[in-house]
Order: sequence, then structure tokens, then C-alpha cells
Amino acid sequence: MSLVLEGFLNTVALTLLSFAGALLVGLVVAVMRIVPVPLLRGAGAVYVEVWRNIPLLAWLVLFVFGLPEVGVRMPLFWTAFCAIALYEAAFVAEALRSGVSSVATGQGEAARALGLSFGQSLRHVVLPQAGRRVVQPLANVAIALTMATALAGVVGVVDMTRAAQRINLELAQPLLVFTGAGLCYLVMAAGIGFGARVLERRLA
Amino acid sequence: MGRLFVAAVLLFVAGCSGGENAVPGGGGKLDALLAKAPAYTGQVVPGSAVDRIKKRGKLLIGGSQDAPLLSQLDPVSGELTGFDAYLGKLLAHHLLGKPETELLSATSETREPLLANGTVDVIIQTYTITPARRERVAFAGPYYRSGQSIAVRKGTSGITGPADLAGRTVIAGANTPAIAAIKQAAPTARIVEFGSDPECLTALKQGRGEAYVQDQAILVADAAKDGELQLVGEPFTEDLYGIGIKHGDAEFTEVVDDWLREIGKSGLWQEVWRQTIGTVVTGEAPSPPAIAS
Repeated sequence: MSLVLEGFLNTVALTLLSFAGALLVGLVVAVMRIVPVPLLRGAGAVYVEVWRNIPLLAWLVLFVFGLPEVGVRMPLFWTAFCAIALYEAAFVAEALRSGVSSVATGQGEAARALGLSFGQSLRHVVLPQAGRRVVQPLANVAIALTMATALAGVVGVVDMTRAAQRINLELAQPLLVFTGAGLCYLVMAAGIGFGARVLERRLA
Repeated sequence: MGRLFVAAVLLFVAGCSGGENAVPGGGGKLDALLAKAPAYTGQVVPGSAVDRIKKRGKLLIGGSQDAPLLSQLDPVSGELTGFDAYLGKLLAHHLLGKPETELLSATSETREPLLANGTVDVIIQTYTITPARRERVAFAGPYYRSGQSIAVRKGTSGITGPADLAGRTVIAGANTPAIAAIKQAAPTARIVEFGSDPECLTALKQGRGEAYVQDQAILVADAAKDGELQLVGEPFTEDLYGIGIKHGDAEFTEVVDDWLREIGKSGLWQEVWRQTIGTVVTGEAPSPPAIAS
């Protein structure tokens, strides 16, 4: 039973922390891709293309076995956190950027015609409109991230999937064990979906 | 450049799709074994497992492609090599007169369902016989007696036996019998799992754990290649591997049991051992485990 709890808590912690990290990094990258500075735009684009175009499992293995080779040694949980957060940040950045792009260009032009600076027009005109539109795409990223944490089990973290596998090794009842694990993921994902709907209504 | 890329992709795909092996015989080692393989002389009851396999013309096996010495796909020849793999070929030869097999990758999550719904005829995959599993599958055998051993980095002190694992971080292969073995011998040990044997080894060398518990044969093979690795004592568990068969099929279990007895008596079992595990474990071939009737 303690194994189930350990796995569940690790999955929840990994999900929450990684998503927080992904939001932070993704926000920075999205801003880089929006600002009218070619160098930053380029750097942001490179970040997104590099991170999202290599499978998360490859990143996890690279982080866990590669970093110690160059002298960086972190506990497995935090290594997995870094890999998942940086990977999902690319998707967060794109969700945020598409939200901003979805605001009609006329809105920005009108703001500037009124004499607002770039920063002011972003803060008072574009972002409030974009905010509501990115809630659902971000919830999608968050749910995908929840499922992606299962990959951390491959590199030594005892997450819910790994715990389920260990239990099944003894019980030899895979259908039962994995249905149970699946329901846990379902509850978490449904929670995210519910939170997103509430947030969306508030921002409307 | 483009053509080169396509060639590389094709090679990769060809390497990955080696599960089905349509070429009878194959590697020289296997040919020598097949020459001595006994053929099934019993009755074929219509509707029985043997009848089904004969009609299909090949034996469907659930197993691994990445277990060194036991069942590993040779990326060059596309042949499955190892103790479990060769036994599978020999069993197919026994029933069909030709080593026609198809390997379906099984995992510890899928083994019982694969047998229950008839996707595979047998599971040959270091399948440890346990009371809990006996309730869902039938086991022929045991066909192999194995034990979990401890390996450490050379120069590690303080670990001389399984009891010393208590309170330490111990590396184990995901879904291997090592996990249960560690829990039993040292309940306070913290287990860290990695997907494959090379990953476990790298993790041990990088200090992700103080010891690595794995099947002795695999550890011996590792230590032979890697001077940094040191084995601690003799195996501390006894795992009996069985051939998994659909639950309740006593008739087919009997057929496989008889075959195992036969190859144990004729020395073919020992020959398979010498060609596979015996290439890294020194000493004479052990005697096969006794099969309960």
C-alpha cells in the first residue's frame, strides 16, 4: 500500500512541479518569440524546435546518464523534473504564442494608434484577450505532461506506473492493476480539465 | 545523401522487425542443436494445443529481444540467440519438425493476458514460478534454476552479502525477479529501477546506487567485459523458471514437461546451456532442475 501511495505522490509532485517549471520557462520563451528583436526570436524558435522535436524519453535518458558524465549529479526525481519541465516548456511557449497571435492585428494597431507603447499595448490590450484563449491549450499541455511523467519510471523514479508494474510483478493481475493506475491518471486529468473550465469562466 | 538516409532507415527497420524468423535453422550453433532435437511422437488430439500449433505451422512464443544470454536479438544476423530463445526453437522443432517460431514481445504486464487469450502458445521469458502466478497460468518445467547475485563497483567495502543491502540504494532491472529478491533479503533497501542491463550498469558506475542485483549469469557476463565491476559472493536466491502455458491446459503442459525431461536426459539441455550461458559462466553445465510430475 505504501508503494501505491509513494507512486501516486511522486506522480502528483512531478506533474505539479514540472508544469510550474514548464510555465515559467515557456513564458520566457514565448516572450522571446514575440518581441521584435530578431536575435531573441531566433533563439526562442531554436529552443522550441530542439526541445519538442526530440522524444521525451530520449531527453530523460540523456539527462539521467549524460549529466553525471559532465559532472552534474542530481537526484533522479529532480533530473526527471528538469527534463520534463524543459521539454513541456516548448509546448507551453507555442500555446502562449498562438494565444497572442490569435488577437486580431487590428487590436494592436489600434492600441498603438492611441499612443500606447509596445509593452502597454501588450499588457492592456493583447494579453487580457489572449489569456482566456490559452487556458484550454495549456490544459491540454498539462494533461499531456501528466501522462508523460510515466516515462520517468523508466529512469528510476518510482512513479505511479512504475509502482503498478512492481505490484503486478507480485500479483500477476495486470488488467486489475493497470485499470487502477489508469483511473488515478483519469482523476488527475479530469481535475486539470475541471480547473481549466473554472479558470476560463473567470477570465471571460 | 538522401539514398544513404533511406538505406539507414531500412536497415534500422529491418533490424527491429526481426521478431519473425522465417529462415529455418539459421546460425551454426542452432543447427548443431537442432540435429539432436527429439521429435514429438505422441498422439495429436484434434482441438488440442499441439493440433493447433501443427495446423498453424509455427509456434507463437512470448519472450524478450533484449535479454543477454537468454533471449537477445542479434542485430547483424537478425537471429534470436540465448538459452530461452534456443529452447523455443527446439520446442518448435519438437512439435512441428522444423524450428518455425514467431516471437511476440511480452512484458511482465502482458504475459498472463497473452496466454489467457491465446495470443501466444507459450511464454519463455525467465518466468519465475510463483504461487500467485500459478493461479493464472500453468507452468511446464522448471527448465532453469537461477539465482540473483550482487555486483558492486570495484573497491566498495561493507557489502559482503544480501543483508548488507539494508538501508542502501540498490539498482535492479525493471520488472525482474531481483526486485522481490531484494525486498525479501533487505526490506529497508531503496530500490531504483532502470529499463535494461546496460542502463543499470551505467547507473551503478555513476553512483546512482551502491549495489546492483541481477541474475548471476548476466552479472558474470557483465563482469567479464567490465573491469570496474565486482561480484559479491554466490547467488542468494533460487528462482525456478517455467514455461508459461494457458491456465488449465494440463495436456499441453504434460507434452512440454515430457519434452523437457527428454532433452534433460539426452544432454541436449546441457548443450544449449554450454552454447549460451556457459560461454560466460565457468565450470561444467549444471544438471537441469527436476520436473515435478
